Amino acid sequence: MVLADLGRKITTALHSLSKATIINEEVLNAMLKEICTALLEADCNIRLVKQLRENVKAVIDFEEMAGGLNKRRMIQSAVFKELVKLVDSGVKPYQPVKGRPNIIMFVGLQGSGKTTTCTKLAYYYQKKNWKSCLVCADTFRAGAYDQIKQNATKARIPFYGSYTEVDPVVIAQEGVEMFKKEGFEFIIVDTSGRHKQEESLFEEMLAVANAVNPDNIIFVMDATIGQACEAQSRAFKEKVNVGSVIITKLDGHAKGGGALSAVAATKSPIIFIGTGEHIDDLEPFKTKPFISKLLGMGDIEGLIDK
Amino acid sequence: MLSMFKGLVGSKSISTDDMQPALDKLRDHLITKNVATDIAQKLCESVASKLEGKVLGTFDTIATTVKTTLNDSLVQILSPKRRIDILRDCLEAKKNRRPYVMTFCGVNGVGKSTNLAKICFWLIENNLNVLIAACDTFRAGAVEQLRTHCRHLNSLHPKEKHNGREMVQLYEKGYGKDAAGIAMEAIRFAKDSGIDIVLVDTAGRMQDNEPLMRALAKLIKINEPDLVLFVGEALVGNEAVDQLVKFNQALADYSSMDNPHVIDGIVLTKFDTIDDKVGAAISMTYITGQPIVFVGTGQTYTDLKALNARAVVHALMK
Ligand SMILES: Nc1nc2c(ncn2[C@@H]2O[C@H](COP(=O)(O)OP(=O)(O)OP(=O)(O)O)[C@@H](O)[C@H]2O)c(=O)[nH]1
Ligand SMILES: Nc1nc2c(ncn2[C@@H]2O[C@H](COP(=O)(O)OP(=O)(O)OP(=O)(O)O)[C@@H](O)[C@H]2O)c(=O)[nH]1
Ligand SMILES: [Mg+2]
Ligand SMILES: [Mg+2]
Repeated sequence: MVLADLGRKITTALHSLSKATIINEEVLNAMLKEICTALLEADCNIRLVKQLRENVKAVIDFEEMAGGLNKRRMIQSAVFKELVKLVDSGVKPYQPVKGRPNIIMFVGLQGSGKTTTCTKLAYYYQKKNWKSCLVCADTFRAGAYDQIKQNATKARIPFYGSYTEVDPVVIAQEGVEMFKKEGFEFIIVDTSGRHKQEESLFEEMLAVANAVNPDNIIFVMDATIGQACEAQSRAFKEKVNVGSVIITKLDGHAKGGGALSAVAATKSPIIFIGTGEHIDDLEPFKTKPFISKLLGMGDIEGLIDK
Repeated sequence: MLSMFKGLVGSKSISTDDMQPALDKLRDHLITKNVATDIAQKLCESVASKLEGKVLGTFDTIATTVKTTLNDSLVQILSPKRRIDILRDCLEAKKNRRPYVMTFCGVNGVGKSTNLAKICFWLIENNLNVLIAACDTFRAGAVEQLRTHCRHLNSLHPKEKHNGREMVQLYEKGYGKDAAGIAMEAIRFAKDSGIDIVLVDTAGRMQDNEPLMRALAKLIKINEPDLVLFVGEALVGNEAVDQLVKFNQALADYSSMDNPHVIDGIVLTKFDTIDDKVGAAISMTYITGQPIVFVGTGQTYTDLKALNARAVVHALMK
């Protein structure tokens, strides 16, 4: 399971609290060091990890507290809270509405898995009887239109694109207009990969967004990414109104901690995860059940709300 | 960066305990630059072993020691133990009337096909002609992606400029076929047609996917390419280590040969997307001991560079 390794390490670290006869600053520091190392090995953003450590420490005042049990509970719940913060943006994801067009635009770095995930998502909704379709607004990448065409044909999903038009804004606009008229409910617009260092690519993304006026912009992030994730994600969010995150390639060995900083940087929830190259390798994602499963805890909410 | 070692100035000899806070900071600094945690840790250990037991009276001497040690370790990691001279080897193969064969492999979406096309452009500019073998028979659009590149490359270098010779051709058999077989046919075709170089594109695969890793090992075993290039993106974090270890291991384990052909070199892509977070260059070379043969710095044919080790070290020490 995703992040499972990390979960195991954190649980082990937390258990060290139960084993210690007295809980003092030293025990707490040792535990925090273990947790932070595990997070860093999973590629979590180093600034977020440092913040987590400081925040947990800030909650615990050894001089004022008596009683071991209380300390233990307070530390555990502080750690949980901070972990939830890592994965949970606190923002509710966009809910598509049936019976009217929902326009979804995909953005992200080069090769992160946008095109593959577009088809997966269209297929996911199609299976639930939504009228879904794809618009290929990537005119840059060699073979991009063929990629969508082949994927969509196989899944019997209607698609729109062009071999000759070079302006992605024109294609996006035409495609969305056409599908809207035809009464489609779930209209996905795929775009080229881009990165913050190339301003013209970011301007193009903004132009496409302005042209199709999407209900939700999904930022696709690869689970293998390291420390560069945060700056890139933040730049995407500053340019367009990213509303959700999908993390891909979680079928590999990657623990996906790096990609989590996309959640903090875009203040957007993860809505799906990609777990393979095939069309049905897509799983809906819910934050809280995920964390409780991760840490093998039944009722984290209970712990946190206290 | 070196100010973290200020606390160590004094008259007594430096112990590991004295250094710990500074070493922790140094490790964090390297992690910030996207060096894999294990490797950051090992680099810190090499600094520690240079400082331990020393009496270093002034901050200057400490700073110099740390800086030199780190600098030396990094330069050593990045310096190739072996030079790969592709152009020379291509000409050598040409003399022997056989094509020079390069295989590109790596995980999904890192830039194998695009950087293969850039390398193809570079070879053509050096007046060598190329056959691209479309051995990604899985991912939608993979064949058309390469066909588009061939078209672009031929229009940049039209026949007329090369004595009527088409500089790049595509060898493809569509989708769903056995990649190793297509590579073999392509190499035979190149040999028969007197083509200088074969570039073999392969499908992206996760390093833990056993069937796909076996298939790659088979492709390399039966086709005996001259060069096996691992393509990895500069964006990758700690996974860099696992990817390289497991690609090498799979090539060794699944080939059942005494002297298996493992990774010869690295193509480090998307170097234009990471600012100063250049740590993946260190992680990848540290693990394999193999050189970074090319660096991809963008999405056009000319965005292909040699590694500038000094610039990488400079970015890491900043
Ligand atoms: N193993 C695995 N591979 C995936 C997953 N999602 C996508 N891929 C693969 O990642 C590679 C890149 O995917 P694309 O969909 O082309 O990525 P993209 O973001 O559209 O790329 P650009 O348009 O070039 O920016 C392909 O080989 C996909 O098959 C996943 O969840 N798991
Ligand atoms: N910015 C930047 N983008 C790159 C670079 N190299 C490749 N890309 C982009 O990365 C994306 C994926 O490239 P591909 O060449 O299709 O990757 P691949 O490894 O062949 O992908 P699969 O075959 O699906 O596994 C494309 O959008 C490329 O344009 C680079 O050096 N810099
Ligand atoms: Mg795409
Ligand atoms: Mg490819």
